[in-house]
Amino acid sequence: MTFNAAALLLLIAGLALIGWIAGRARSNLLAGRAQAKLHSRPQYHGWYVALWLFAPAALFLAVWSAVSPGLITNDVLASDAARTLPAFGFERGAILSDARSVAQGQQAAVRIPAAAPLVAPYADATHRYAWIGIGAMLALALAGGLYAFTRIKPEFRARTRVEKIVMLVLLLASLVAILTTFGIVLSLLFESIRFFRLVSPAELLFGTNWAPTSGAPQDDTFGGIPLFWGTILIGAIIAMIVAIPIGMMTAVYLTQYAAPRVRRWVKPLLEILAGVPTVVYGYFAALTVAPALREFAVMLGIPNASTESALAAGIVMGVMIIPFVSSMADDSINAVPQAMRDGSLALGATPNETIRQVLIPAALPGVMGGILLAVSRAIGETMIVVMAAGLSANMTANPFASVTTVTAQIVKLLTGDQEFDSAKTLAAFALGLVLFVVTLLLNIVALRIVKKYREAYD
Amino acid sequence: MTDRTSPTDWKGGAMQARIAKRYAAERRFKLLGLLAVLASGAFLAFLLFVMVGNGLRGFTYTNVAVPIDFKAMPLTVDTARLGDADADQVIAGAGLADIVAFSADEALGDGGSAMISENAWKEVRTAIKADPELLQTSTVFHLPTSSEVDIAAKEGAKGAMGAKVDALERDGKLSTGIHWPFFRNADATDPAAAGIWGALKGSVLTILIAFLIAFPTGVLAALYLEEYAPKNRWTDLIEVSINNLAAVPSIIFGLLALAVFINWFGICQASALVGGLTLALMTMPVIVIASRNAIKAVPPSIRDAALGVGASPVQVVFHHVLPLALPGILTGTIIGMARALGETAPLLLIGMRAFIGDVPGGVCSPATVLPMQIFLWSDEVDRGFVEKTSAAIIVLLIVLLSMNALAIYLRNKFEKRW
Repeated sequence: MTFNAAALLLLIAGLALIGWIAGRARSNLLAGRAQAKLHSRPQYHGWYVALWLFAPAALFLAVWSAVSPGLITNDVLASDAARTLPAFGFERGAILSDARSVAQGQQAAVRIPAAAPLVAPYADATHRYAWIGIGAMLALALAGGLYAFTRIKPEFRARTRVEKIVMLVLLLASLVAILTTFGIVLSLLFESIRFFRLVSPAELLFGTNWAPTSGAPQDDTFGGIPLFWGTILIGAIIAMIVAIPIGMMTAVYLTQYAAPRVRRWVKPLLEILAGVPTVVYGYFAALTVAPALREFAVMLGIPNASTESALAAGIVMGVMIIPFVSSMADDSINAVPQAMRDGSLALGATPNETIRQVLIPAALPGVMGGILLAVSRAIGETMIVVMAAGLSANMTANPFASVTTVTAQIVKLLTGDQEFDSAKTLAAFALGLVLFVVTLLLNIVALRIVKKYREAYD
Repeated sequence: MTDRTSPTDWKGGAMQARIAKRYAAERRFKLLGLLAVLASGAFLAFLLFVMVGNGLRGFTYTNVAVPIDFKAMPLTVDTARLGDADADQVIAGAGLADIVAFSADEALGDGGSAMISENAWKEVRTAIKADPELLQTSTVFHLPTSSEVDIAAKEGAKGAMGAKVDALERDGKLSTGIHWPFFRNADATDPAAAGIWGALKGSVLTILIAFLIAFPTGVLAALYLEEYAPKNRWTDLIEVSINNLAAVPSIIFGLLALAVFINWFGICQASALVGGLTLALMTMPVIVIASRNAIKAVPPSIRDAALGVGASPVQVVFHHVLPLALPGILTGTIIGMARALGETAPLLLIGMRAFIGDVPGGVCSPATVLPMQIFLWSDEVDRGFVEKTSAAIIVLLIVLLSMNALAIYLRNKFEKRW
């Protein structure tokens, strides 16, 4: 018997439902008997009992799920069978996890013979701790429920209590975002520091040779410049050459020239481009765009044209970003006061002169902010690059050559058969940290620009 | 009087030329705008055209007629056991695969058994389980061909294989039908047997978990920030982190999940549970932002009226504001979920890229999702997998587009002007 958290959660949810019904019935009964008016409506008394029944038990369940595996392992290590285990290290961990999988029924038989004697102690300990956990959880639930149940009186302010708890839950929900942010920053920092103990930050940021091959830090070089260059070439140069003109002109056409009916249809249609999954773009880039570009390059007589090219990935990524640029530009152009447009037209300027000399300059800060956000999105994009741009770290300005990016390397470093402590694996987190910091800065600057600009005409 | 024309002489030749030039520039500019719109549209159309063109053939399969005479080659199985749970093993043990291979050689000439899919006998097995009477008769089965024959038949190949296929076609032995294994199998090494059901189920489980976590958390957080939160440094910090999270590259969430969920907490790796948790963290900010906009749109008079008749602040929000904001919240949630459903990069990092030949049994068992299946198949060089990949893309796009259409429908239906 194992400790099935989901089933237990359902069990206490069921108990809480019973508590709710009992609490409501009890308050009704009291109100009738005492001929008194209840302070709170009966369902609040029910909720009060249910919450007291559910919350402590659920909290215990969460803590117990996190703590009990460690306790079980300690018990097993204290048993006689554990004496033959090798000292600390990878093998010891493998044997233990093998025995655990068999004991918990995830696997039919042991894969490592040395794990066989540990299965029985593991099963025993698992069983014991599961019963301890279930017993303690039920005791907590019943104690909480009984406590709340005995407090029900006609004048008891159940609603106030319940609402306090609701507010607490709301506050906790809003803290999840902060927790996630901290989680990201801490996990990236923690692993990056371990990486920087092996490889200096200067090498990662300024080194020009990227060759993590063996996994041993003394043989590998982790110079990040080729990756940063590849990322900039694809995300900030090629993709933007495609996305900015097309996105801007689309926004101009749809806001200034198109009939409202056309606009109503075309806009959502273009937004489909932003909704297509990136893996589909990646496949399209690798299957159709890249071979076509290669043939084009060969026709032009460009040597070493590769089927994996920066151009293919960049063009497709640019197309993906068009709706993003165009909707940001759309917003900025619409935010320019109508009076400025009308004034220019009244002076005799043609619409295109008005757009080029009045609207776009006035909308420029907003457009710039939008473009920065688009760049941030492009350099964080993964699948298109993994599938179409290749994995070889080249420092080349030739768009027909294969280049690699930060995101593609993160995927490559983490999908090989590496153990978790090797420099190669840790390097992925250091790259992630660089990516996180750069996109964060871009976003902050972009949002500042957009916000400042928006206030200008209010 | 000199014959110098005045600068405002609209009839003068120079002015007319300038006006014509400006109007031409205007037409060019407008055309450029139209071209930009058309370029994006053309790209979308081209993408869909290529995917549909490649993918539609992945939904059908070439079958070949193979008569199997069970009277001449009796399959000795106890028909009473065919309803049991181990019926598959019973039939396999009796040697059905050999009988099917032999019949194929008989019917299609030498090498005939190589022309049917290596899993073709399983189709016969399914038929026998459905109708044990077949074992007493001689029946013509329409069995799936091998991947090479299927491709040759669809594309009109040349060479030895093309000649064989042409001969079969002349004899009327080939037929095309919907490729059911594609819809009911999980991944397989043989393109004739590989399907999307495993990935589809994994996607549904993953998204369900993401929804169950992200939706309540996101909506409650939005309610707090919009209705109750005091304006101070703490709530500013919460706001800033939500806005930043919405713009963090998705692969960073994969790194977070790998470090926290898998390496610290040891939650089952490569499962729908970890995938769902990861995507939940990713979509939560999107849901918060959409929900806040929807809540903001509910007019203050509703709140004042409720407070005025004696409702508590919690009752105001849960009885009045939330129900009115719900359509807007749902629209944002569906869009966020559609984005999560198409996501691949963070799931790559938590180990969901392994080959998984089974349909996932639970939230903790190894699973794959539809975009990941597309990514894995895109690496297979086998020609049979190209149409499989495109067919899976069609399924994914249909699911995503219908989710987006539902969101637009909801928005239009419930859009209110107060």
